[in-house]
Amino acid sequence: MSSNINNKITGIGQILRKDWQLYLLLAPMVIWFIVFLYTPMAGLQIAFKDFSLFKGIYGSTWVGFEHFQTLFNDELFIRSIGNTFLISLYSLVFAFPMPIILALMFNELHHAMFKKTAQTIAYLPHFISVVIVAGMVVSFLSPTTGIVNLVLDYFGFEKTYFLTNPDYFRPIFIGSTMWKEAGFESIVYLAAIAGVNPSLYESARVDGASRWQQIWRITLPSILPTIIIMLIIRIGNLVEVGFEYIILLYQPATFETSDVISTFIYRVGLQGSQYDIATAAGLFNAVIAFILVYSANRISRKLSSSSLW
Amino acid sequence: MNSANVTLSVSNVSLKKVYKRYGSTEIVKGIDLEIGAHEFVVLVGPSGCGKSTTLRMIAGLEEISDGTVSIGERVVNKIPPKDRDVAMVFQNYALYPHLSVAENIAFGLKLRKTPKDRVKAAVDEASSILSLDPYLERKPSDLSGGQRQRVAMGRAIVRHPKVFLFDEPLSNLDAKLRTQMRAEIKRLHKRLQVTTVYVTHDQVEAMTLADRIVIMRDGKIEQIGTPMDVFLHPANTFVASFIGSPPMNLLDGKIRKSDGKVAIELNDGCIVPVPHKDGMSFTDGQEVRVGFRPEDLDVVVNDQNHTAPMNCSVDLVEPLGSEALLHLQIAGQSAVAKTTSHGRSSDMSGIANTTQVFGNLKHLHIFDRASEQSIY
Ligand SMILES: Nc1ncnc2c1ncn2[C@@H]1O[C@H](COP(=O)(O)OP(=O)(O)O)[C@@H](O)[C@H]1O
Ligand SMILES: [Mg+2]
Repeated sequence: MSSNINNKITGIGQILRKDWQLYLLLAPMVIWFIVFLYTPMAGLQIAFKDFSLFKGIYGSTWVGFEHFQTLFNDELFIRSIGNTFLISLYSLVFAFPMPIILALMFNELHHAMFKKTAQTIAYLPHFISVVIVAGMVVSFLSPTTGIVNLVLDYFGFEKTYFLTNPDYFRPIFIGSTMWKEAGFESIVYLAAIAGVNPSLYESARVDGASRWQQIWRITLPSILPTIIIMLIIRIGNLVEVGFEYIILLYQPATFETSDVISTFIYRVGLQGSQYDIATAAGLFNAVIAFILVYSANRISRKLSSSSLW
Repeated sequence: MNSANVTLSVSNVSLKKVYKRYGSTEIVKGIDLEIGAHEFVVLVGPSGCGKSTTLRMIAGLEEISDGTVSIGERVVNKIPPKDRDVAMVFQNYALYPHLSVAENIAFGLKLRKTPKDRVKAAVDEASSILSLDPYLERKPSDLSGGQRQRVAMGRAIVRHPKVFLFDEPLSNLDAKLRTQMRAEIKRLHKRLQVTTVYVTHDQVEAMTLADRIVIMRDGKIEQIGTPMDVFLHPANTFVASFIGSPPMNLLDGKIRKSDGKVAIELNDGCIVPVPHKDGMSFTDGQEVRVGFRPEDLDVVVNDQNHTAPMNCSVDLVEPLGSEALLHLQIAGQSAVAKTTSHGRSSDMSGIANTTQVFGNLKHLHIFDRASEQSIY
């Protein structure tokens, strides 16, 4: 038994020695993970403690699931879960397919110059900081000087202050995120499309496939594994809706639809200094995220044989 | 449905002064080619000579820069591939990785909205012709190279096209499988009788498959003829050294005329007499190349009346079993002789020490050195 373990250890030692260059390259990443992601996890225990700054993380007293009870009795927290879920769901439905459609459209462009220009224009918004995008959205939608309201006014419609109306928050948030990211995200799909063997298309053309049939029967099935991987990643990030962007766009008037788990944590934790409750909420968030990635991966492995791990 | 025995409607293919240019570079330089219905024509030539480009112009995958391509009575220059009624088999098989073998074969029919039962019948027929029955539900990634190529052919035959186009379909297979598939393609053509244009760089494939061989070089046709035709009567030094393996030996020499007799003097002074033929015409001192196939050079005299002894030294002997290849130097030029005179013995010293080879004058070729054309 112990010789078995010894064998294993020598085995690992040999592997390490054989490819030490590779492990050396890997080391900074591992260290980064340990220092910035795994060590701070020790702090998660305050989710189960009555945290006091003076007693420190380890000195505070245990309180069990008290903070979770508080959270789930808090209507505002429940509301933030609902909002997170809805914003994620809508963006999955509307924003996720957008880069795929864009990539398919770019792929149909054959005028090299026009194609390059169109792609560049579509990629550009990605490089604009969220702060600026939020600023643009705020000024475009401004009730007095915003272009949208000026146009509405011109055609005789009533001016609206969109950003204070909870009904408009989700469309504005998802729409402007799409505008910012769809082009850039399409690069992944374009790369996948570029990897499709060109003779598949030639063969299909000889066999009688129209352009539409080529997209539907060759391009889409060929990039399906990529789409699925992107979908798994997306689902894993479902609870992580663009925190900074929401902070920048929302205001108390729209909390009803715009307050999500991460903004809730931010307000309770950092602004309200209730670190323990905020940590409990964050832990809850992380557990949900983990369950989502895990199940998405399982389902996808069952259905399509492509999976992250 | 037993259409394999029904004579299919097939077409002749005709290329008239066909050019292909990419910008200012000319790739195909005015090809004229008539391919009869039911004929199996092989385009052969070194890599990059424009064979695939020519085939792809027939398929409609490349635009035709100049000239006309007709299939049947119809000029197809402006007709998209799907309306040309051709089927093409690609070197890398071009199978759809996400579809099963059966779905791959049925692909072209499904696109044309063929009724389900007809599709199934056609797939069953093709799979039995190509012995694919056990693999119908598999994905292409679970097949061997030969099986994949058969699926690609199945996809072509279910369409019952007027013309089959093959672009180096066997190049990705190992030697043994290639021989096997070659025979299978030949059988398939015998059975279906569909006009076929087949591209390869392999002259053995061309010789064994073709009704007629088209030898191309640098975007032009060098010679068209039956396999034996181009083997026995190569039109120029290019064809002579391309067809046949090992290639024909070409030795530089000069024409010597005296007393109405013609001979060729090699660089080392050896004399190769030229037997009289009607209509032959040489000028004294004309620079030529003498061609002997390796089979026509031997270390023993086979035919006393038609022999040309030449001095040589042996570089290397390659025993092939019943035959042996002798790598020689004749008049300062390399040549290869194929001989059986070692008598299947393992002792090569006899032929390795030979200092004279004998050319068979019955199969003498002479080419003009400047024009490279056959003149005898
Ligand atoms: N799209 C293209 N643009 C420019 N040159 C090309 C293109 N396609 C092929 N060629 C050139 O045309 C020549 C003939 O190609 P091809 O017909 O594929 O030769 P092969 O006889 O080996 O099949 C090659 O030299 C190749 O580089
Ligand atoms: Mg080629």
